[in-house]
Amino acid sequence: MSTTSTRGKYSVFPQNKVNEDVKQEQQILIQQGKKEFSKEYIPHWTLACDKLASAGYGAVIPLSYIRHSPKLVKHLNAEAAINLASVVSLAAIKVNRAAAEMLPKVAVIAAHDTKSMAGFITWINVIEELIKIAPESVLPVLERTQKILKTLTPDQFKSWVLAGLRSTGDDTLRQIQYFSFADPESEKWFRHEAGDIVYTDLERKLKLYLLALWNLQPPIRDLPPSLSPLSARRITISNGVVQVPEVFTGYHGVKAEQIFRAGLAHVGAHLKYSKTKFKLGKLKPIQVTLVSLLEDARIEHLAMQEYPGLRNLWLPFHEAKADGPQIIPLLLARLTRALIDKDYHDGNGWVQKGREMFFHPDNDFMDANMCRRIGSLLGNDLGQLRAQFNAKTYVIEPPYRDDNMGLWDFGDNQENEEDDKGIFIEATQMNKEESDDATQDDKNNQENEETEKQYHARESEEKDRKQSNVIVRYPEYDYLTGEERPNWSCIIEYFPEFGDSNKIARILETHTDLVTRITKLIQTAKVSLPERLHYQNVGESLDLDACINASINLRTGQIPDPRIYSTTERKHRDLSVLVLLDISNSTNDMVKNTQSSILELEIQATALLAYAMSELNDPFAISAFCSDSKEDVHYYRIKNFNSNYNSTAQAYLAGLRGKLSTRLGTAMRHGVKDLKSQHTHRRLMLVISDGEPSDIDVDDRSYLVEDARKVVRSLSRLGIDVFCVGLEKGAENYLNRIFGRKNYTLVNNLSALPARLTNLYFRLTA
Amino acid sequence: MNLDSYSVTSEPYYSPTHNEVELFEAAYACRMPMMLKGPTGCGKTRFVEYMAWKLKKPLITVSCHEDMTASDLVGRFLLDANGTIWHDGPLTLAVRNGAICYLDEIVEARQDTSVVIHSLTDNRRILSLEKKNEVVKAHPDFQIVISYNPGYQSVLKDLKESTKQRFGAIDFNYPKADDEAKIITHESGVDLQTATTLIKIADRSRNLKGHGLDEGASTRMLIYAAELVAKGIPLAEACEVALVLPITDDQDIRNALSSAIAACS
Repeated sequence: MSTTSTRGKYSVFPQNKVNEDVKQEQQILIQQGKKEFSKEYIPHWTLACDKLASAGYGAVIPLSYIRHSPKLVKHLNAEAAINLASVVSLAAIKVNRAAAEMLPKVAVIAAHDTKSMAGFITWINVIEELIKIAPESVLPVLERTQKILKTLTPDQFKSWVLAGLRSTGDDTLRQIQYFSFADPESEKWFRHEAGDIVYTDLERKLKLYLLALWNLQPPIRDLPPSLSPLSARRITISNGVVQVPEVFTGYHGVKAEQIFRAGLAHVGAHLKYSKTKFKLGKLKPIQVTLVSLLEDARIEHLAMQEYPGLRNLWLPFHEAKADGPQIIPLLLARLTRALIDKDYHDGNGWVQKGREMFFHPDNDFMDANMCRRIGSLLGNDLGQLRAQFNAKTYVIEPPYRDDNMGLWDFGDNQENEEDDKGIFIEATQMNKEESDDATQDDKNNQENEETEKQYHARESEEKDRKQSNVIVRYPEYDYLTGEERPNWSCIIEYFPEFGDSNKIARILETHTDLVTRITKLIQTAKVSLPERLHYQNVGESLDLDACINASINLRTGQIPDPRIYSTTERKHRDLSVLVLLDISNSTNDMVKNTQSSILELEIQATALLAYAMSELNDPFAISAFCSDSKEDVHYYRIKNFNSNYNSTAQAYLAGLRGKLSTRLGTAMRHGVKDLKSQHTHRRLMLVISDGEPSDIDVDDRSYLVEDARKVVRSLSRLGIDVFCVGLEKGAENYLNRIFGRKNYTLVNNLSALPARLTNLYFRLTA
Repeated sequence: MNLDSYSVTSEPYYSPTHNEVELFEAAYACRMPMMLKGPTGCGKTRFVEYMAWKLKKPLITVSCHEDMTASDLVGRFLLDANGTIWHDGPLTLAVRNGAICYLDEIVEARQDTSVVIHSLTDNRRILSLEKKNEVVKAHPDFQIVISYNPGYQSVLKDLKESTKQRFGAIDFNYPKADDEAKIITHESGVDLQTATTLIKIADRSRNLKGHGLDEGASTRMLIYAAELVAKGIPLAEACEVALVLPITDDQDIRNALSSAIAACS
């Protein structure tokens, strides 16, 4: 390549000689390049070339531009070629020479792959942004452009880059890892953007399927995608937890859904029928593999007796052919198929023998030992073939089957020796505990959390005693792509700290006038489903019974009752409320002319409100939140809907402390799960916040605002009202944006908050 | 009054799951008010019909709804050209003439409505018609039976404690697989194998109860599905129509159910 040869000349020839050579080469290339441009663009392009050449970036960058940019004319148009110069210049300044040199070459590839002017502009804009925001990551992206654009459209590329920038924050090292695919997240989002079906897309469906089919709810986690193509991932079951690959490479659309489903049906069969672990003993690797293979066949055989339709699910994945070389992995695949597919004919003696032994009428399929016996024998036979078998590189086929590591007791783990119940039984027991738990809470929305709880139970004990077991991931909306990124932010429920519960009682005592007013309001407050009232003086319809009575009275000569109408009225209160408190660091600020912090006033206001709500018998819950990056959104349950507003709840409320940031959208997504399960006519989420949504890993001010707005809109679709009490001066803009004009109020005089909040509550619920 | 139109003339098909027939006979012998609990479509109404036939008593059924007033049960004055005439409600009719009065889904009725049965459900066994200024003594054959589905009503709708404590109760559930298969074959005419497959399918949906489904597929739904199969509809389609689509609007649950159904056949 001429660029390298130019570079070579630096060291050999004196400087002025080099300069002359370079200039000469530039001129030749410019003359060639001009042919690509129409007349009116030639001056512009040569000007751009001259600018680059005289900007002091060295010789290589202008040469690269002059050489490659004319090719853009053919793919796109002259303007694209000319405009590229400014981006190259930017790259030379902000990144380094290598990136600037590479850019024109990559731009030609991009132009070829994106195929349209609009696509190319999107691509070059993203690169330009990247140069400005994360210059260190530009080179890795440019190097991989071909691979990326082969799979992603320019818009998907933009989303993937944005996902990277959003998830890595300001951390340069992580950015570089992400953009050079060294970070598993990167591949995950890449797949996501590419529209591959990933496990998380199907999670709920598949869990319900497993529950419906086998009545099992093992904790299921996703395995991050493997980076090396050699180690194809399989489902694995260990320590009672099922781990499912995020994606099965090569399976798209319906086929992808089928393979996940087939895999989980297989897992279910294991959990149901693989009751004991095999002892490793003196088995050779090939025998271990065979015993596992036979065990798979055995449990599938049993499962298909119970559910004949599973055959249609599993069979398409068995693609082994009865011919081909006699190498062990192929023979294993053929045996696998022979054991499930009745119509499959295989002339190989070993495969036939395996099939006959497996289906021998004396076999008791309920006894796993048959697999060990047959597997040992078949393994010996294979040994005599003198064929090579490398257990380390062998991957179980077909891909829906799990790696069978959970089937074996390797004897090296003390835990295993003590506990011979076997991993599958553990999982089933876990599942039992879970369902016991679930009966207490509202089951509908707890599925996820329950399994999560179990999974994290062990970890959390060691980690942080304050952390409760609930960890849930939520999507987050990115207004730049107009889409929600699944499983983006993570709620961790922490146990609130105890404060002085007498404090709440004292708050009520110091606000006696307010409390009396609240009590009066309580007596008159009414809100509910319409109820028909009979015997009314006025009303929108006649009350049949009253009319007949009145007529009878008339005929019998008595004075008829004039109350002959019926009407409808809301009589009982029927609403539930979730109060969501923002306890970010800014709530520690002192309020002017008072001795209290903002949080202090929030607590006072909430205490009075909680008094009113508990007196009204309105079901209510109080939660608080703050956040420390998307991976750690703190959520504190002060009071649940089903618990009493007792001294514990009051102590929790009194013990709140302001810290960290405000990731409002995620907290609302979590809060709504509880609210959704309330069977009341009206459901209200009351957010009390002192500042704009923000977090340490977000520097785009609109991002969290737009996310919160998205949540509010989705809540209104669920029939849940959201109302916000803003405590920050000048917050109209973003509150208006998030909640809508009518659904927020600003409390400017913060010392009046306690009185205002309760009044507001009555107004909202009247 | 002649209650012939209310009598159950031919034997309704009912396959006992336990000793509920003996229990009910004993309860009827002492005229104890009975409450039949259990999920929808498990055979409560059919059981009452069967018992009425077995005991050879007329059966008056009232389906309760939330706008039902006490007059709808007890009766009211009506007007005609010559004056006013009293018209007995279904409850009064049963009380006067010695029928079994079956109040279906009693919790749906307003609470003040269910209070009118109180005087009938203790040792007084009387019904007072305030408007008519009359006290009706219950006929010796009269018995009151209510049905009550604790599952799907919200917390807001529940029987008053004072009402609950006036009844003996029989708990119903979906029959055991073998019995259920027999019922399905009898009602729909499909073969036993299809019926068994349908029950396996029903168990799949019953596993999802509490995980997005309020109730699993009921025996009644299975009979519907079986009837479609008997009319020549393929099983998977019949299940979709009779078992999956009516029960939920949640796409994920539909998908899980349909896949589980595919696995069963």
